Amino acid sequence: MSDSPPAVRLERVGKIFSKERDPTSVYRALKGGLAAALQSAESVRALEGITCAVACGDKVGLVGDNGAGKTTLLKIIAGLYQPSSGSVAVDGDVILVAGLGIGMIDELTVEQNLLVYGAIHGLTRPEMRSRIPEILEWAELPGLGAAKLKTLSSGMRSRLAFSAMRTVETTIYLLDEVLTAGDRRFVDKCAAVFEAYRASPKTFVVATHSIAFARTFCNKVLWLHKGKQMAFGEPDMVLDRYTSFTGEPRLA
Amino acid sequence: MSELDELAQHDGVSVATATWPAPGTGVYTLAPPASRQRRYWNLLRDVSIAQYLAKDQSTVLGLVWTFFNPLFMLGILYVFFSARAGEGIDHYAIYLLIGIVHFTHFSNSTSGAMVVLYNMRQLTCNTVLPKEVLVIGAILSKLPEFAVEMAICVAIAYGSGVRLGWGVALLPAIIAAQVLFAVWAALLLSTVHVFVKDAAYVYQMFLRVLFLITPIFYAADFVGHSTARFLLSLNPLAQLIGLSRAAILDSHGQSLPFLLVVIAANGVLIRFALVFFRRLEPKFAEYV
Repeated sequence: MSDSPPAVRLERVGKIFSKERDPTSVYRALKGGLAAALQSAESVRALEGITCAVACGDKVGLVGDNGAGKTTLLKIIAGLYQPSSGSVAVDGDVILVAGLGIGMIDELTVEQNLLVYGAIHGLTRPEMRSRIPEILEWAELPGLGAAKLKTLSSGMRSRLAFSAMRTVETTIYLLDEVLTAGDRRFVDKCAAVFEAYRASPKTFVVATHSIAFARTFCNKVLWLHKGKQMAFGEPDMVLDRYTSFTGEPRLA
Repeated sequence: MSELDELAQHDGVSVATATWPAPGTGVYTLAPPASRQRRYWNLLRDVSIAQYLAKDQSTVLGLVWTFFNPLFMLGILYVFFSARAGEGIDHYAIYLLIGIVHFTHFSNSTSGAMVVLYNMRQLTCNTVLPKEVLVIGAILSKLPEFAVEMAICVAIAYGSGVRLGWGVALLPAIIAAQVLFAVWAALLLSTVHVFVKDAAYVYQMFLRVLFLITPIFYAADFVGHSTARFLLSLNPLAQLIGLSRAAILDSHGQSLPFLLVVIAANGVLIRFALVFFRRLEPKFAEYV
């Protein structure tokens, strides 16, 4: 797969966040201009010098401790954050599954949310309607299509998000800790889905804390530590170095 | 070099064939490519429906409150101003109602759309989609109640003995012009609100001033031939209210060419507002 054209190419990508994330005020904006009002005396370097190429069909694991910059990197690839330096090139349709939900509206029902989700990913209402029963069935939420999204637990939302993601056709999947909220049975169901994806030409970049998952699903691993790229390459080589660094036991 | 300077000098993001091109890349043109047009309009429709359903308007009680508000305003203003401000104005109650309906729609739709990127930050921050559909969807979600309220104005006028002319047929175009006006205003307001949160409070103050400087409960000549009269002529909302009043109350007072100019002007302003919105869109997920 590494001979395939790059789906994602990152060159010296860096990201700096302003430490002061509180909203500015009209007074500050009028006094010093909007740019000055948004500027903070202190900043945090979230990413620095990330360089790698993800070929079409690659399954890349993003590993690193909390705060390593995994989510920031996924959002930069998705185009939600601008890099402060370097360049990003993405060739393909992108879907980002981040956190516990499908990024929707709590006040709406599960079914209404799924219709919007389908529209975002290019499905018409009839197309999405025909898929909703299967999505709910897989997520083990049958009969909850009319329930308000806000009434679902975090585990239910997580199952719904993953189930909905399966039905959307795209070329690049950016997944952020999608396996953290479910129970054992759900994780096993997801593993079966990932197993099916493994042989597909789809490109995956998956932020994960699961060394076992990274070893079995990914053909490349990018290890980040405090925003810096520690290693990128074959899973065994990178994960061995990572587990040695963190002191975690090596998993086959 | 400051962080913001560094931000401004970043080397850029390029997305070749993503579902929705990354904002601010240059690939993202004002009109989506033809292959994406249908998806874009489908998304806009579904987001508008979702925002409509998410409000109380979708319930019977919500609808009742929606219509109660302008009627309450009508009652208060009629009691206090009909004797003096309404002197010499035929069908003053309907004249008043048309002004209130226009103002209430503009006020509610732009106030809601201004904060939509913040209120729907799960979508703003975690989902790849053209963010302006959230803002435009917020405006369109208020369209049904505006259209129904205008229809009620026509029905009341007819029931009150007003002789309706062909100008009533222009009302859909006037409603469209008001929606276009609200869209470009909301695109600017929502962009500012991402970076300056208390702008929402300032806007509420502005709306109170706008209510007073728009001929809602008085006629334009009430302010005399002064600077105030000139300022009234620059008020887009005043022009739209004037068009609606002419269409419903004055069977000979319609001006189709002027209405077309208003629609065209608002169309041009939407394009400018979109350029401004999309220029800053890449920073929304970070600051919202």
